[in-house]
Amino acid sequence: MRSGAVLGAAVWLLLAGVPGPAAAEPVASPERLYEVPEPGSYELPPIRQVSDHELLGPRGRPARLFPLGGPELSVVAFVYTHCSEARGCPAAFATLRRLDRDLSLRPELERRVQLVTVSFDPERDTPERMAQLRDQLKPRTGWRFLTASGAVELGTLLSDFGQNVFEQLTKAGEPTGVLRHVLQIFLVDADRAVRNVYSSGLLDPRLLLADIRTVLLERDSIQR
Amino acid sequence: MQIPFRSSFPTAWACAALCLAGLAWTPPAAADETCQSPFLPKITGQEDFIYVWTLGIEGLGDGSDKLVTVGANPERPGYGEVIHSLSLGGRHEAHHGGLSDDRRTYWLGGLDDSKIFVVDIGSDPARPRLLRTIDDFPEATGGVVGPHGFYALPGRMLISALSNEEGTGRTALVEYSNEGEYIRTIWMPEGAEYGYDARVNVDLNRMLTSSFTGRNNYMRPLGELLQDAEAMKNFGNTVVVWDFHARRPLQVLEIPGAPLEIRWALGPRHHYAFTTAALTSRLWGIFRKSDGSFEAVDLAEIGDASGTPLPVDISLSSDDRFLFVSTFLDGTLRVFDVSEPRAPKLAYERKLGNQANMVSQSWGGERVYVTSSLLSAWDLPDPLEDEQYLKAFGWNGRELIPRFEIDFRAEKLGRPHLMRFGQFDLYRTPAAGAAE
Repeated sequence: MRSGAVLGAAVWLLLAGVPGPAAAEPVASPERLYEVPEPGSYELPPIRQVSDHELLGPRGRPARLFPLGGPELSVVAFVYTHCSEARGCPAAFATLRRLDRDLSLRPELERRVQLVTVSFDPERDTPERMAQLRDQLKPRTGWRFLTASGAVELGTLLSDFGQNVFEQLTKAGEPTGVLRHVLQIFLVDADRAVRNVYSSGLLDPRLLLADIRTVLLERDSIQR
Repeated sequence: MQIPFRSSFPTAWACAALCLAGLAWTPPAAADETCQSPFLPKITGQEDFIYVWTLGIEGLGDGSDKLVTVGANPERPGYGEVIHSLSLGGRHEAHHGGLSDDRRTYWLGGLDDSKIFVVDIGSDPARPRLLRTIDDFPEATGGVVGPHGFYALPGRMLISALSNEEGTGRTALVEYSNEGEYIRTIWMPEGAEYGYDARVNVDLNRMLTSSFTGRNNYMRPLGELLQDAEAMKNFGNTVVVWDFHARRPLQVLEIPGAPLEIRWALGPRHHYAFTTAALTSRLWGIFRKSDGSFEAVDLAEIGDASGTPLPVDISLSSDDRFLFVSTFLDGTLRVFDVSEPRAPKLAYERKLGNQANMVSQSWGGERVYVTSSLLSAWDLPDPLEDEQYLKAFGWNGRELIPRFEIDFRAEKLGRPHLMRFGQFDLYRTPAAGAAE
């Protein structure tokens, strides 16, 4: 049996420990004692090539990961909504939400960048559930919430990005409903090359924004 | 109280993101069992295995370098024994290695021929298998030789090298994707060309790199090298401070005598690191100053420096209290109390054998492991003196308590060097469960 209630309780405990948005201090806020490097002053060489994939949108309609004629850059995060690890998927969502806000204030960037959240738990994260989550988060940009149509499609997608996910089992070999994964957010350019990967410890929206600017500056320079 | 999970969870999740994002919350760096990349999942409980990257010895067993898996969990069969050995065919000067960011692969470097072996430890942690071999490292990287440190970054591996095709100490940092594809080469800056270790502090966006020597020196017999005054000038004396995200050198710190391993403190607001200088036998601290730059401070002597005990490895406890320091030539493990990082105190020492090299500790600090081999040409030349061992101890905060010991010569394995920990629970898949 999947222990969703236990996981949910864990996240609710997290919520209980986190004051509301108007409060002053978060649960854990590491000091970021650095200035983000100037966009364009450093390089982000391609790490790997990825392909387009057909997924499911909010109403169960087919949706391409990289729509033809869509934004030039994509920020892709793989998550599952039953994740109870505060430093895992909720942290990815927090980072993307901050980025969503930042991009919405910069129309020149917003039209060139898409944020995409893809669930790797299609059994539980149905299109309806993803749509519900999107409604709750009220994104200010075109932030997309997708899920896979099945295990085969999901496996192909995850393998393409090098995102390992597997279900934690009990010592008796019973499934726990906990999906073990290393949190990763991918910055993908117009040629579908991954230009950076962000995981726990690097989820600084300022870095993401600087990298987005860096890749766009490089692209503009080539096009000129 | 039972929380109505399924019906309300998207709301809870959204709320979590709202709360956290509204406060620009980002998670702290997760540190590994004390000295690993902050991007790795960590083993905080009992390790099940010690993976030991081992140099082959001609005429001993199959004579090849190998990855030796040792049982480390007293509640499992095979505790304190060699449970698997993966021979990699030939002697490559097995030295250092590192785990990928998902801990599914263990990258093993050969300092002599610059081969890199990527070993799958995730599919069956008790029986690692070779996944791929990178055998064009010098060509792919533009002439870099001697892949030494392997440090996981998200989606890729950062390799700090030792040398170049001429065998001198000018070298580079190199990045490969997790799939083994070359990404880029970053040559060390002018005036600080040597390389050895690379360690990142993500909260500071700073990376420190240290400096050793080139292939012309590290493949030479140590006795001969020590008599060659000209060759002895060709060692690094610097630690470089980098802007990690930009991979840009910011500052060069002078630390004479080949500063080797670097360990960042792990505690919040502990903005300092330690290193040891091998040739001068000094413990150094690298401290962040109020203006954001760093200073190197000579902190203490390690053993009798006049006898060149050669400090080689260090391991900092997860509470930043104890720094374990192994010295090769006197075969001793020392423990410094570094609670006051600018005033370390020697708290304990123990002679382990004729030689001692790498030291690793569990996250909680209760268990400490030491191996014996440094380099094939630097280990004691007389086979009767050349002890090759893995020794496991308990640590109670005051003294080391022997747990088990494996004689790698008697087992016909070779010279044990770098250790990494493994655990079934990291990969509790049906295959791993069946393997138990």
